[in-house]
Amino acid sequence: MLELKDVHTYYGNIHALKGISLTVDDGEIVTLIGSNGAGKTTTLRTIQGLIRPRHGTITLNGEDLTKVPAHEITSKGVSQSPEGRLIFPRMTVKENLEMGAFARKDKDGIKRDMERVFTVFPRLKERISQKGGTLSGGEQQMLAMGRALMANPRVLLLDEPSMGLSPILVEQIFKIISELHAQGTTILLVEQNARMALSIASRGYVLQTGEIRLQGPAARLRDDEDVRKTYLGEH
Amino acid sequence: MLKLRPALTIGLAAAFVTFLFGGWSIVVIGLLAGAMTGLNYGQRSLKRTPREIGQEAIVPGLVAAGMVVLGGVVFSYVVTPAVGKPLAYSLFLKFGKTAVRMDYFFVLMISIVAGVLLGALASWYMASIQGLPEHTRRARLIIVLVVFLLIFPFFEQITNMQWMAAVITVQIFILLALGLNIVVGYAGLLDLGYAAFFAIGAYTAGLLNSPQIDISWNFWLVIWIAAAVGSVAGLALGAPTLRLRGDYLAIVTLGFGEIVPVVFRNLITVTLREPITRICFVGCDPVKEVRNACLYACTGPLDLTAGEKGINPIGRPLIPFTPENLFGANYLPWYFLILVLILFSIFLIRRMHQSRIGRAWMAIREDELAASQMGIDPVKTKLMAFAMGATFSGFAGAFYGSYISAIFPGVFDFSVSVIVLCMVILGGLGNMVGVIIGGILIMGTDRLFLPQMATLLKGFMTATVLPNVSHPALRDFLTFSLDPIQFRLMLFGLVLVIMMIVRPEGLVPSAERRAELHAGDEAAGAPPLEAEVAAH
Ligand SMILES: Nc1ncnc2c1ncn2[C@@H]1O[C@H](COP(=O)(O)OP(=O)(O)OP(=O)(O)O)[C@@H](O)[C@H]1O
Ligand SMILES: [Mg+2]
Repeated sequence: MLELKDVHTYYGNIHALKGISLTVDDGEIVTLIGSNGAGKTTTLRTIQGLIRPRHGTITLNGEDLTKVPAHEITSKGVSQSPEGRLIFPRMTVKENLEMGAFARKDKDGIKRDMERVFTVFPRLKERISQKGGTLSGGEQQMLAMGRALMANPRVLLLDEPSMGLSPILVEQIFKIISELHAQGTTILLVEQNARMALSIASRGYVLQTGEIRLQGPAARLRDDEDVRKTYLGEH
Repeated sequence: MLKLRPALTIGLAAAFVTFLFGGWSIVVIGLLAGAMTGLNYGQRSLKRTPREIGQEAIVPGLVAAGMVVLGGVVFSYVVTPAVGKPLAYSLFLKFGKTAVRMDYFFVLMISIVAGVLLGALASWYMASIQGLPEHTRRARLIIVLVVFLLIFPFFEQITNMQWMAAVITVQIFILLALGLNIVVGYAGLLDLGYAAFFAIGAYTAGLLNSPQIDISWNFWLVIWIAAAVGSVAGLALGAPTLRLRGDYLAIVTLGFGEIVPVVFRNLITVTLREPITRICFVGCDPVKEVRNACLYACTGPLDLTAGEKGINPIGRPLIPFTPENLFGANYLPWYFLILVLILFSIFLIRRMHQSRIGRAWMAIREDELAASQMGIDPVKTKLMAFAMGATFSGFAGAFYGSYISAIFPGVFDFSVSVIVLCMVILGGLGNMVGVIIGGILIMGTDRLFLPQMATLLKGFMTATVLPNVSHPALRDFLTFSLDPIQFRLMLFGLVLVIMMIVRPEGLVPSAERRAELHAGDEAAGAPPLEAEVAAH
């Protein structure tokens, strides 16, 4: 469904992605793991059109996204819960969620998805008229995910959804991700928490300084010697 | 039991006005002070019935109106003698051509009685409608406001208060501020050169409706053209600034604001070597049109704007079936025309604010990157903000040109941009009611209070102080240097600084800000997230 072929992305002279190829198939959870600065966020930004790749192609169901402007990619079915959450601090929870559906016109569908978000995150419903900026870190994370869901995406990109959360909340977030997956959402999950990510994903890619070093079924990566040493902290 | 502090504060501020103007102003200000007090008390006691709230607000209303009356009495018996002018307000009632002379004491008595009664009544009414459901309350408020706005100018004319010129200027600036509020308040783009669009609107209207290049199109057509030209100018300024933020954007817009008046000042010898104008619009004589507005193969260069001399005279609006000099005779038609323009603009801006583009502006203001992830096109959204903001200054400019009937490049200088920006910030970024109140306060001060203060101060010096001062240097200083009008820009600066420290969200903060405070209360009462999850 989503396919990157030999994608090279630069920040000025910094060669951040050095030929990334990856695929995410319909209904899959695929995880992208790697240490700090490996290029995970850059990969997601490139998919979303926020940075243009210098080489390579990105396709969604065969349609080339490489030249599509960022704001149109959302309506093609890709939405993201970005790193650092980037919620709108002075808008209420409800307004934030409505912004997520900005590109959509189907009022009924939006209403249904709003209900769905509230079922998945009952916490957000309680805080419906609170300002985004005054939510706790975990609530902001939920809001960012909920907002991404409001676009009714075909592919959901999640950038470190567990960042800065307490262990219990991390578990809860991962449970929600599995639930979303069970409801049929295709997910590309970027995580520092490799153990958790590999436990819910079907396949994974290991990114190192802008290159894909390893790839394969999640179970196999979990058992890989290097992965265990470097990313799972086992000896 | 009754909290009188707000009434005293409102009364004090209002009494300052009657202290300066006296006479008939007691009636108007008493009414306004009462209404403000009522609004204030109504909001305090939402739990009781409308009738109870109204009754409770009568006493505070009387207190506020009483202070207003006190200010007027002090004016009559302390201020006027001190400035050596026994008759500082008009004693004539004008009904069309007939004038009725009234006794000084009689005017004072009528004003006092009317002021107190209207103040109490307004306070009662304003408080009592606060308890009503939002929908009805809104409707009532609007009706009351419309009635006031309809009656006030006639009252002003009959009692000869001489406020109309100032009021119309205030209205023009309110229209400008409403436009700038789109750019700065909604979209969060700091624009320091807004006067440029005002100038562009005024010059467009001036050129198309004056002997300058001998085109005299109807005002009602020209005002739309001015708005359209304004919005195109908005796009022209917006396009190169799209990638700029904050300080850089402010500097570019500042430059734009400085350049435009210079351009108009210098467009006095225009010649073209290529034929681009052979256009004749419906109903004109092509030969005459080409001769007068000659841009190609002419005998001499074209003087487009007359430089420093300005474009003069600019045609007035005409309304079918009314006397031709309707807009020449007095202020009333102008007052109503600009009032309609403002209401029309408020209507349009409200619609825009609540529509998709309004939400896109809000998102861009909050976080541009996140907004583009939501599917908002930042380029289109920002350009739209500049274009829309400039449209309303186009209206204002066209009105202004026709109203003053002459325009000069010097009018549209930096201080106009700053004052309009002050109005937007003082009232509360992004809130139209706030912007209007900010506009009334700032321009009211500028065009009504400061001139009046200057006159009174001058009289006070001549009549009371100077006869007792013999030192020549001190006399010079007192005569020439103590002019409040000289301090106006300093005053605005001071107000801005104080506002930023004391109340950075503005006098009437936008709904988002209000909700923020409200949300803070809620958050304090709820258990923290982690604790609740742990309890499972
Ligand atoms: N705006 C930028 N300008 C220049 N360099 C950048 C920019 N953003 C990222 N980089 C660089 O690109 C590389 C990849 O960054 P990226 O944010 O994709 O890492 P990441 O894998 O998401 O890391 P983390 O796990 O810490 O979030 C890093 O070396 C980073 O310094
Ligand atoms: Mg990252």
